Amino acid sequence: MSDLPDPELIETDVAIIGTGGAGLMCALHIAEHSPACDVTLVSKGIVGKSGCTRMVQGGFNAVLNPRDSIEDHFADTLAGGYWLNDQELAWTLVNDAPKVVNELETRVGCFFDRAPDGAIHQKAFAGQTFDRTVHRGDLTGLEIMGRLRDQMFRIGVRELEDVRALDLVIDDNGVAGLSALDIRSGQPILIAARVVVMATGGAATMYRLATPAREKTGDGIAMCYRAGLELRDMEMLQFHPTGLLVGESRLTGALLEEGLRGSGALLLNALGERFMTRYDPERMERSTRDVVSRGSYLEIVEGRGTPDGGVFIDISSVLSADEIRRRFPGMVDRTRRLGQDLSLGPVEVSPVAHFQMGGVVIDVDCHTSLPGLLVAGEDSGGVHGANRLGGNGVAESTVFGARAGDTAARLVTERARGRPSPGAAQQSFARAFRPLGTDAGEHPMALTRELKDLMWQQAGVVRNRANLSAALDALDDLSARTARTRAPGPPEMNPTWQEALDLENQVVAARCLVASALVREESRGAHFRADFPDRDDRRWLRSIRIKADADGRPEIHTVPVDLSRLAPTGIEDHPANAVDTRMPDQTESPGHSGRADEGGSTT
Amino acid sequence: MAGGGKSRHARLRVRSVGPEPSASVGHAGHNAGPTETVTVLVRRSATSNEDRFVIRRQPRMKVLDLLVAIQRDHDPSLAFRYSCRVAMCGTCALRMDGTAGLACQTAVPDHLREVHLAPLAGLPVLRDLVVDVAPFFARWAAVTPYLVPHPGATAPARVRPDSPERQVIDPALDCITCGICYSACSVSEDGRDFLGPAALNRAMVLIADSRDASRSERLARIGNLDGVDRCHYIGGCTSCCPKDLDPFGAIRQLRRWRLTGIQGIPTP
Repeated sequence: MSDLPDPELIETDVAIIGTGGAGLMCALHIAEHSPACDVTLVSKGIVGKSGCTRMVQGGFNAVLNPRDSIEDHFADTLAGGYWLNDQELAWTLVNDAPKVVNELETRVGCFFDRAPDGAIHQKAFAGQTFDRTVHRGDLTGLEIMGRLRDQMFRIGVRELEDVRALDLVIDDNGVAGLSALDIRSGQPILIAARVVVMATGGAATMYRLATPAREKTGDGIAMCYRAGLELRDMEMLQFHPTGLLVGESRLTGALLEEGLRGSGALLLNALGERFMTRYDPERMERSTRDVVSRGSYLEIVEGRGTPDGGVFIDISSVLSADEIRRRFPGMVDRTRRLGQDLSLGPVEVSPVAHFQMGGVVIDVDCHTSLPGLLVAGEDSGGVHGANRLGGNGVAESTVFGARAGDTAARLVTERARGRPSPGAAQQSFARAFRPLGTDAGEHPMALTRELKDLMWQQAGVVRNRANLSAALDALDDLSARTARTRAPGPPEMNPTWQEALDLENQVVAARCLVASALVREESRGAHFRADFPDRDDRRWLRSIRIKADADGRPEIHTVPVDLSRLAPTGIEDHPANAVDTRMPDQTESPGHSGRADEGGSTT
Repeated sequence: MAGGGKSRHARLRVRSVGPEPSASVGHAGHNAGPTETVTVLVRRSATSNEDRFVIRRQPRMKVLDLLVAIQRDHDPSLAFRYSCRVAMCGTCALRMDGTAGLACQTAVPDHLREVHLAPLAGLPVLRDLVVDVAPFFARWAAVTPYLVPHPGATAPARVRPDSPERQVIDPALDCITCGICYSACSVSEDGRDFLGPAALNRAMVLIADSRDASRSERLARIGNLDGVDRCHYIGGCTSCCPKDLDPFGAIRQLRRWRLTGIQGIPTP
């Protein structure tokens, strides 16, 4: 690969990959602690406009009311997560959330909706025992991201816009920096840093029907996996029950917010039946996301869905049109622009891939097993366990983004700046530039489509061993073909090339997901196995861990959940003892000759 | 926030007398059901010419779907941006038949035969429909767009939702910094000396915010030569805003406040 251009070298103290809520909050906290620290934001798109924090509708869970309690928010988060959460991370989330709301209001400049008396208003959200969701209308994320973006103009960080991070570069001291690609010029960049913060967001876009922003392609997960870091709970991918169906349009998957169900909206199948009677007769439509998504999915696959493969959400038979328009203006507007009207009749929806609960193993200060590498937000795993509560997502990204910033500010004084040699990143650059120089191979856009269909059909809302095994085989094949794509055209702003690189990362995340899902032979939260439909606390209060071994092959083991802060009822007082000790704790194969991404470099 | 139905977002008009219809577009009149295809003419940066694509119509199609179809089925090298597709990121902003709007929110009407797509005006083109938004944000940054908190503020301020201050701020708050108003403004342009509608709207919001300690300085700033007096009162900004904000109204508000001084601004 001697014909690759020499990379431009950028030296910095902290490189933050991703500019959503976690990334910008991190930058802000570094600046608060050490204004002289040199911070570099690496953004695949426009700074502050990539990723999902911006798209958050509902809000931010935080205990602000004296009648509410941290312990209740904690218990709700664990119950919502089906006890798979890392309890220290969840405890940190609920303790820091009120502080971060205060910071967003008093320092960052956000203004959340007020109650009539002028105090911050908090609304009800599913799965919570107290109304604790702070919000700004139904566009909460826009307010948070808008104001965080404004703060970047105050603190003055280096912004690498339209720059794609490729791989972590590692030396004897831990992380030394990263390899990157300037999307505009098509030129390689080598970034030397003392600390790298990974905050790119999840990989739910690997599914045909999905809510997230397009650039969220599991880049952080894939970079960390290739670097040998351990991932946890990758089988836990949340499906939101009410994504809009708009035929072939790219708008399919756009969300209708949870507040509709909270306000009494009905879910109906094509026969007009309120099908939730079959799946949760007590809570009906107000049941949790996992249960409602599964119900809708089963109706659709059993032939009671619409011709386009959906069900209906109907709030028009419950509230007056005026009331709906007053309370859900954004949602009414959204449906009207698609030729429907939420305030006047039922709207067609489907479960859609939404949020990745799993991710890199971190501690409460966002440290990973790789010295100098911090991970925050959706790239990390453990905060939400097997299912995330609405309103805990933006709380996680800002809370842990802030903590990553605090940690990074400490670490820069302790760690020398890495000196990544171009040789160390050569494999990464070679992988990235490969599709450019070839006329042979498949077009990545067709393969992306194949991946999304495969994941939706074989590893979606309802899973079983046969489908997951078939999916793993298909992903092996897809992985090999992904390593042979072609991207005709020049290096500058080449969409095909960028798609090829997105796809490689999506396939890495998909294989981790499917391999983990195959191992978990029970149903818990977002992970439902038709062949093991029950939750099995005796065997499966365990987190599934996956990492690449020295040869790049996936290596899986399980770790019991530490229930020392709180245990579910029904588990004995010393819960760890109740877990079946016969459960293999050793490395095991995912029941398949799965191999790691052959195109991936393990730097 | 948009209250359904009144939105002023971009709409593509179906011309009754279009350019000569090609065979593939057919001769579907207004009463003959949707056209089967749409001819898309896209400004390309490599040649400065328009490339012509005939795209098969899908039900409930948006302009974004036209772009995706071109890239997928006709010319994978076509460069355009999009991210959220729900009018939150603003990155798919472009000009459609000359009018700036969001590709993800602009419907392709049933009888549309042809549409011209071009990048936003007033910003450097990086490639095809992708512009560099840096000049837009340079002006945004010039109004001190972040809150300057009062030193003693340690808890969220008590502000009643029906306070005069919030009546001014709330309708102006949900700017997605898409740059559409900047493109639609006949004065804003890279290299020209005008802060532009979005930045001035942001300044108005902060000047009205009693939590901010820098209101007087900001009010002085927008009175500079590149400030509110450069506005020509055409109102293209407000007519194009995909979030139904009123930057033109904000500019007029700022001009009034400049006369009344800071004491003319509503308090909580």
